[in-house]
Order: sequence, then structure tokens, then C-alpha cells
Amino acid sequence: MTEVTTGSGAAIQVEGLRYSYGDLEAVKGIDFEVQPGQILGFLGPNGAGKSTTIKMLTGQLTPKAGVARVLGIDVATDNPELQARIGVCFEEKNLYINMSARENLEFFASLYGIKDADAEGVLRRVGLADRAKDRVKTFSKGMRQRMMISRAFINKPDVLFLDEPTDGLDPVTSAAIRRTIREEAERGAAVLLTTHDMFEADELSDRVAFINEGEIVALDSAENLKLKYGTRSVKVRLRDGDGVREEILPLDGDGSSSRLAELAASPDLMTIHTEEATLEQIFIQLTGRGLEG
Amino acid sequence: MSRTVSRPAIIGALLKKEFKAYSRDTVYLLLTLLVLIAVPIVFRALPDSVDETITLAVSPPVSVLVEEGKDALRDLGATEEQLAELDEADLTGEQEGLLLLEFEDEEEMTGVIEGTVEAWQTEGGEFVFRDKEADEDKPDDAERVNVDIGIAFPAGFISDVATGEDDITVTVYSDAGVPEEIKGAMRSFVREAAYQLAGKELPVDLPAEESIVLGQDRSGDQVTLQEKTRPLLLFMILLMETFSMASLVSTEVLQRTVTAVLVTPAKVGDFLAAKTIFGTALSLSQALIMLALIGGMTAENWSLLLVVLLMGAIMFTGVAMFVGSAGKDFMGQLFYALLFTIPLLIPTFSIMFPGSVAPWVRIIPTYPIIDVLVQSTVYGATWSDSWGSLAYAAVWLVVLYGAGLIALKRKVESL
Ligand SMILES: Nc1ncnc2c1ncn2[C@@H]1O[C@H](COP(=O)(O)OP(=O)(O)O)[C@@H](O)[C@H]1O
Ligand SMILES: [Mg+2]
Repeated sequence: MTEVTTGSGAAIQVEGLRYSYGDLEAVKGIDFEVQPGQILGFLGPNGAGKSTTIKMLTGQLTPKAGVARVLGIDVATDNPELQARIGVCFEEKNLYINMSARENLEFFASLYGIKDADAEGVLRRVGLADRAKDRVKTFSKGMRQRMMISRAFINKPDVLFLDEPTDGLDPVTSAAIRRTIREEAERGAAVLLTTHDMFEADELSDRVAFINEGEIVALDSAENLKLKYGTRSVKVRLRDGDGVREEILPLDGDGSSSRLAELAASPDLMTIHTEEATLEQIFIQLTGRGLEG
Repeated sequence: MSRTVSRPAIIGALLKKEFKAYSRDTVYLLLTLLVLIAVPIVFRALPDSVDETITLAVSPPVSVLVEEGKDALRDLGATEEQLAELDEADLTGEQEGLLLLEFEDEEEMTGVIEGTVEAWQTEGGEFVFRDKEADEDKPDDAERVNVDIGIAFPAGFISDVATGEDDITVTVYSDAGVPEEIKGAMRSFVREAAYQLAGKELPVDLPAEESIVLGQDRSGDQVTLQEKTRPLLLFMILLMETFSMASLVSTEVLQRTVTAVLVTPAKVGDFLAAKTIFGTALSLSQALIMLALIGGMTAENWSLLLVVLLMGAIMFTGVAMFVGSAGKDFMGQLFYALLFTIPLLIPTFSIMFPGSVAPWVRIIPTYPIIDVLVQSTVYGATWSDSWGSLAYAAVWLVVLYGAGLIALKRKVESL
């Protein structure tokens, strides 16, 4: 057992990491850390540099500048010992479609030198146990995505890199995938997850990094981000003739409380809800753009 | 937790996966099976002998020549036994598919070759001549005999040869339409006939060879269709497997499964090694199966055949890796596959039309491979005859395989 960790104990440690495709600067010097057992959500729109970051951390691209250590090992050194301990879920569903679910997992297990891989067990976790013998060719998009996740788990990795693991999936499949990701973190794996879905980042991450145009513009727990940047408000709904009228009052604004007392006394009052700022609203506030597109 | 996996274990795992992927690519698998079954059947149906009979005319008849020469030979000290042997000299014995037609008169013979006189052979084997100008009737139950070449020996040919006369002329007449190969075969026949008539057993000096032999030695034009086809089929198998190998490489590149492999402890080198081993083993084993089914391997040529097929298999694996990493989609792949394999096919024409190989064809990488295949299966070439071609093939092998390796490596690393 060679536990190579840095002084801080971080599983992923990134300092001043940069990458450019020719003249295009995709990642412009980012810093962050992920501790074992923690999930860091990379939230940003398409083209923000999320995949490029993951590619550098998994050895698919060599950083142009900066240092990244995973489990204390510099990712720029092509190190099989590091690769044995990471799991990757790619944005593209790159499975061997002519092989069965089970064969896919057993093949990848054999690349890690795992002879008695528990393919069945892993497939059961993602709800594919009954399709173990079927070729991936016959799988739906959601099933393939669950296969991608299970493949990333096959070597019981210490660090997981998941690039948009629930992109384009139905809510039920997404929830199932999120549950297994959380289980991996509970097992002790450090998880770096990218998404452009603010709910996913909010629900799953211990901390969220806002990434835009290759830069991290904010990094904290979702809670703290909302406290720090978000304005809470109250939404009041009132009967208005035959229709319904809405009024939104910022909680921290001057004069909000007297107006709220006034509306609360109105006979037309229907409901009062407190409204929390969404991560997307904060993202827009910080970058001037939304998460879609 | 740390695990170490040995390189052979990783390559072994990759090979196992290649085999699965290949065995499930039903299109190529069926194609391969079909070829391995159908081709040997068709092959067996091909003629395994050269059945065109060449008719050779001589004048004067051999018996006349021999009779005339006996006295001269006896003077030179030939025994009666040797002279008796001369009587039995069988001019056509050694030459399969050769019909000998004897003429008393040189002029009649030239008439037959020119076509002004028709020669017919009856069922009994008799020859009947019909002058076209004279409007004679066509004989019954006879087959037309086409006389291509005639040889006129001078009167006293053997005694002249025996006494060492310098100025002996043997005239060879041939129809203008006779192909060069047959003329060549005829010239070598003339030479062998001369040996038969005034042979080594007799105490005579042959006149200078050149005065009788008008062409080169056995030119080897008499090759059966089976013999011609055999190296072609072996080559085709290698080529066919290039396509299935290219498809194995390209699906892995296009579906980016290789990216998933490379984030595990497997390295690019392992991936390339597995593709090389699998591609080479695939082509070679199928070429050997084909060879076993259509024959052609002998105790003399087996090691040479094995090596040249191995070289061909590696060369084509290189081509497959190049093609497999070139196209951006299936159609692109097909385009590159054809672009690269068609030129490599050109040297196979040299099998079908020997003697007509343009110099530039010899530059094509596959030429030395084909050449050794042909030379070893048809003409009994051995290692010592083939070093030149093998060395040349080795140079091309390094170039083509190297190009494939670099192309695929770069492609994979750029994904
Ligand atoms: N192979 C590539 N070649 C050139 N530009 C690329 C390549 N991959 C990504 N990019 C560009 O780099 C930027 C970041 O891309 P990416 O990391 O894929 O973003 P994300 O994953 O956040 O959507 C984008 O502008 C994208 O167009
Ligand atoms: Mg991406």
C-alpha cells in the first residue's frame, strides 16, 4: 500500500493549470483542491473548459502550465500507478458496443489486473444486472450512461472524474446515477464532477466551482455561495379580480417589511413563499451569462 | 491501494478484446468464411495443366535426318548400340502438349504455316493436307490442326554436326500471329531436339550453341492457371484482412473506446502492440489456412513462404493502421482504404501477364512480396534466389508499418 498524498491530504490539488488549443485558451490558470470523500461540482456552460480540465487531470492532455497532482502524483508524468487508482466517466459514451455489459466491465477490470472483478455487483448498483449478458449495442442512452458510470467504478478508484454524467437523461435515471456517485464519495473517493445543471451541482456537491471561459469565478459550498451572492426574497400571490397577481419583495431591501405586513393583511392574499436565489441566478450575476448554450 | 499489472498481461487482455470484437463483426467474419470455403472450391476447378497443344512441323522427317546421319556418326566411332538408340529418339517425349508434324518438303511446310494449305488430323492420327486454292474437299472425321511453327533442318544436318561443320543453319518458320512466349518455347524445343539427335552420348561436338538455339532457355511460360492463381489468392487474403483490420482500428478510433483504454494502466504502446500482433496473426493465419486448402507448400519452400507471408501480413497491418486512423467517418475510411490498396494490387497483374511487368510496377511495395510468392510456388525459388526481393520487401515493410504506427499513435493521442 503506497499512500502518496500531499501535506494537505488533498486527493486532487491544482495550481495555476492552463491549457490552450492553438491560440484558443481553454483553461486560463485555475486553482482548486478536492479532499478524499468530497464531491466538487464544476458548474459552467458549454465551452467553459470543464472537459479540458478533466482531460488534463486524467492524462489525456498535457498541461501547458501549472501543476496538477492527483493522489500526490504529478499528472504530467505518465504514471500507471496513478492510472490504476482513478476512474473516469467520459462525456462521450465510448463503450465496446459489440461486447456485452459484463464483457465490457471484465475487459476493463483486466486492464487493472483485477481477475475476479465483481461485474454483476457493479451492474446491480446501476440497475443493469438483468442486462449483463446483452450487448451494449442494444442499450438505450440512459442504460449506456449507467454503463459508463459502472465502468468508472470497476477498479474501486480513489479519485473519480465524471464529465457530465447525467447530461440529457430522464430524471429517474439521473437520480439513480446521483445516488451511486454519492455512495462512491461515502466510500471515500474524491469526486470531480462537471455539469451545466445547477440542480445537480446544488444537490450533489459538497462544494461548487463556477467555471466560465476557462476561469473559476467562485468556489464554495452551494450554501455559502447563496448566502454570499444571492438575495433572498418573498413571493406573495394575491387574488386580482378573476386572476392572480404576484409580487416579489427582496428580504434585505429597505421598506420590504412594511410592504409585506400590508400585503399579509390583505383579504386577497393567497400564498406567501420565501424564495432562495438559484445557483444559476448567482452565476448570471457573476459572469453576465447563463448556464445554457 | 496500489496494483501493478505487467505489460504482457495488459497486451493479453487487449488481444482477447480484439478477438471478441473481430469474431462479432459478422460482415467480415462471413466474408472471410465465404472466401475460405468458396475460393478453394473454385481453385480446384481450375485447370492444373496447360492443355493447349502446340503443333510443331519439321522437315525433313526425323527418320530421314537420322538415316542420313548414321554413316557419318559410324565413321566417327559411334557403336551400333548408340545408333540404335538414335532411332528411338523421342522428340516429343519430354514436351507435354506437343504434336510433331513431319514434312518431306520444306515448301509444303511453309505453306501450312502461312495458312495456304490446311492440315487435318484424322481419328486414326493420320495427317491429311488440303490445298485451299485447289478447292479440295474437307476430309471426314478429321480435326483441323493449327501449325504455328516449323523447323527446317538442312540436308545432312547430323553429319554436318558430327563433322563439326561451322556453317549450319536451322531455319525456324513461324506464323506472324504466334505469341512471343510460344516462339520462345519453340526455340528451346529446337535446342532440345538437337541434343536428342546429336546428343551427349555420341562422340561428336555440337556446333556452337548459338547457331542452333535462337532464344533463351526454358522461359517458363508454360504455367498452369492453378499455379498462376495460387500466389494471387494468398495475396488477396492478406488484402482482405487489411480491410477487416482497418475496420477494427477505425471503430476503436471513431467510437473513442481507445481513450477509455488509455486512462487505465494500459499505454499507447500496449494498444499499438496488441493491434499489430492481432492484425498480423489474423492475416497470416488466414493465408496459411488458404495455403493448406489450395496447396503449394513444399518441403523446400515452406520456410520461405512462411517468412514472406509474415512480412506481407505485417506490411498490410501497417496499411490497416494507417487507413484506420485516416478517415473521419466510415465513408472516409473506405475512401482511404481503396486509395491505398488499389495501387498495392497492381503488381498482381504481373502474375497474370508474366513478362510484361513495367519497370515502375517493381517499385510498388507489394511487388517483392508477390514476386517471392510466385517464384517460390511456381518456379521453385529458394532462399538463395529470394534474398534480393526479401531485402527490398523488408525496406518497404519498415516504411509502411512505421507510417501506420506513427499515424495511429498520433491519431490516438490527439483524441
Ligand atoms: N480538440 C479541440 N480543439 C480545439 N478546440 C477545442 C478542442 N476541445 C475543446 N476546444 C475548445 O476549448 C474550449 C473548452 O472546451 P471544453 O473543455 O470541451 O468545454 P466544456 O467541457 O466546459 O464544454 C471550447 O471553446 C472548445 O471549443
Ligand atoms: Mg465538456
